[in-house]
Amino acid sequence: MKAEYINPFYKATIDVFRIMLNLDVQRGQLRVVEELGPVSEANVVIGVTGDLRGSLLYSFPKSMALEMVTIMAGMPMTKLDAFVCSALGEVANIISGNAMTHLSGTDLACQISPPQVFVGTEGTLSMATEQAIVVPLITNIGTLELSVSLTSANGR
Amino acid sequence: MWKEHYRIGSELIDSQHQELFGRVASFIRAVQGEESWEERLDEVQSTLEFMKDYVVIHFRDEEALQKEIGYPWLEKHAAIHNAFREEIREFAQRVEREGFDEEKVQEFAAKVMTWLIMHVGKEDQRIGEYIREQGGQQ
Repeated sequence: MKAEYINPFYKATIDVFRIMLNLDVQRGQLRVVEELGPVSEANVVIGVTGDLRGSLLYSFPKSMALEMVTIMAGMPMTKLDAFVCSALGEVANIISGNAMTHLSGTDLACQISPPQVFVGTEGTLSMATEQAIVVPLITNIGTLELSVSLTSANGR
Repeated sequence: MWKEHYRIGSELIDSQHQELFGRVASFIRAVQGEESWEERLDEVQSTLEFMKDYVVIHFRDEEALQKEIGYPWLEKHAAIHNAFREEIREFAQRVEREGFDEEKVQEFAAKVMTWLIMHVGKEDQRIGEYIREQGGQQ
């Protein structure tokens, strides 16, 4: 897992949060974890295949998740229902897709799987066998913790 | 949902975008309402029906504008439109076949909302930039 894989995700989040939510994003202190697991209540998992393989986990605090969808819909959201969860999945999907485009600029061609959303802070994701880097993405409505666990398909 | 900074500088397209944002907002209100699903279903069905047709008209008009001004990324933009039109068509067929399940409609409404914000907020803004570079089109 190389730290250089993180930058495309940071760039993509800045771009997508500015367009969709009119929010600025600051990057917090990176940390390495041994297992990929949820940090907050609202979680989106996206698989990556191609030149890089692994998983991405977007973990949003409940209050942040509700506020994000409130901003987008222009009406108050009060629970993590199918509408809110699907919207979060789409935002994570758009960020990941844009990050893949940035990565392709470094000659890495990757595809992403459709987003899987789950609510709760229990457990770890069994598919992760590698270490993950967790990037706190700080906004004034809360901090999204993005865990990135990617390895090069040809062992580099 | 509509924001003034979404304007691209074409009166027709800007008013169609406002209409689309307005319709998506009413779709979300109907989908997320407090009344029983049966009570909201009429509004959900008619908004979906309207959007299915309106998206076709709007995409056609927007693509005609791009052609008229010689927009260089016309083909890529049309491909994005086609993919989204296909998604709406597939969803409409699916609910016709399987019925209007509340959760499935909620998920679809969220997809339409995020797509519209990202598309008008990013892809369509490039048309606006191009119009401004050309010295204003309309």
